[in-house]
Amino acid sequence: MRPLLSLVRREFAAYFFSLIGFVAITVFLIFTGLLFAFYPLAGLTDSGPQGVEDPMQSLIGHELFWLVFAFILPLLTMRLLAEERATGTLEMLLTAPIRDWQVVAGKYLGAVLFYLVMWLPTLAYVPILVGLDFETGETKIDPAPVVTTAVGVVLVGGMFLAIGLFVSSLVRSQLVAALIALVFSLAFVVIDFLQPFLDPNAGVAKVVNYLSVPEHFRRDFTRGVIDTRHVVLYLSVTAFSLFLTVRSLEARRLRA
Amino acid sequence: MIEVDQLTKYYGEYPAVRNVSFEVPKGRVVGFLGPNGAGKSTTMRILAGFLTATGGKARIAGFDVFKDPIEVRRRIGYMPESCPLYGEMRVEEYLRFRGGLKDLSWSTRRKRIEYVLSKCWLTDVRRQLIGTLSKGYRQRVGLADALLADPPVLILDEPTAGLDPTQIRETRKLIRELGNQHTMLLSTHILSEVEMTCDSVVIIDQGKVAEDGTLAAVRQKHKNQSLEEIFVRLTGQEGI
Repeated sequence: MRPLLSLVRREFAAYFFSLIGFVAITVFLIFTGLLFAFYPLAGLTDSGPQGVEDPMQSLIGHELFWLVFAFILPLLTMRLLAEERATGTLEMLLTAPIRDWQVVAGKYLGAVLFYLVMWLPTLAYVPILVGLDFETGETKIDPAPVVTTAVGVVLVGGMFLAIGLFVSSLVRSQLVAALIALVFSLAFVVIDFLQPFLDPNAGVAKVVNYLSVPEHFRRDFTRGVIDTRHVVLYLSVTAFSLFLTVRSLEARRLRA
Repeated sequence: MIEVDQLTKYYGEYPAVRNVSFEVPKGRVVGFLGPNGAGKSTTMRILAGFLTATGGKARIAGFDVFKDPIEVRRRIGYMPESCPLYGEMRVEEYLRFRGGLKDLSWSTRRKRIEYVLSKCWLTDVRRQLIGTLSKGYRQRVGLADALLADPPVLILDEPTAGLDPTQIRETRKLIRELGNQHTMLLSTHILSEVEMTCDSVVIIDQGKVAEDGTLAAVRQKHKNQSLEEIFVRLTGQEGI
């Protein structure tokens, strides 16, 4: 346990050693802040009659959000193993008395931890998203969508980070790692744009719906629904990517 | 302590190590010699568990390198060639991280870090970023890391490469001291160093063991020539 914790600590701290962690956080917060100001905030503070509000949906259900999201996560994972391979420090890591799965788990948890920190400041939006009345402490809008969206965001982030970690284990160049990871994460987002062109009853549309992350959030997570199909997709892709990463490290030992 | 038996490693079609066998008894300091590309680093990487062999066996402290890799790695301190380190960490911070990886408790970690810092002359630079250190200091950090968990076996790949003469002398002195407590396999190109620090030598060439024995025995076998003469005769072309 101690070796694993040491590794998680180092990986997490490494985000703050380099500029990339701050860049990712800054871009993410500016962007979500803008989205928040334009959509839920404007909608909820307008004068005039208020309808049925789904503020989470206009924030996280937006394709724009997912496009930017897909660009940010590869920045968090590109370094993880590619840098170690490029500088040769992987040799020090793999000759320490820890197992390959611990190396992968340590790196992954470090990245997930940083990802959660990245989201942390957005908790400041929660009072407005649930329509909190500061005097009575009552919420005027159903708080469930905030909770389910948080669950979805953690799971989908876990998936993108696992994919990025696997890609990072395959190459030496951080840039290449980021670009390949970007292709994978974009695939889960861009597929959403196909929807208007498909017959909703055709089998293809079902597959597209199953894979399209923006659609999952637009229809389910941001409306207080946790659909197990999405959860199963995210968790299985995460597990499979991490498994492949361990295998990829093992394969390193067999080759040069 | 280190038993290598018929070890073979292919990189694709190319045999980097071919049927290498040798033994390092407990407490012995063995110099591992050979020209560049002879397979020294490959052999050491296999022993340290970074690479797997294509064939053959290797045991360290009674544990099989391939079947019990974790047990083996607990018992060796390995310093790779060129000593890759995290440049963005401070010396002490790096050693604390490595101590954690090696599963040392907080109190032993603190004690051992103090010990290796003073042993490797790193006390002055303990708060410095590794990336800003000179080559000599980086090598010492690598050595400090190898010593951190107080392993019975040390495997050092060219510990004096790239150092200035003073540093070489200091490192050599340290190695001689460590030889009293640790079993050691060290590779080097400086033959005078071997004569000063090692009990015996293993010379490999083109992936095969060319000579193996105590310094005295090897010299005697080759009619008391200098080690350099023996090395060139075994590994180089005739007439150089």
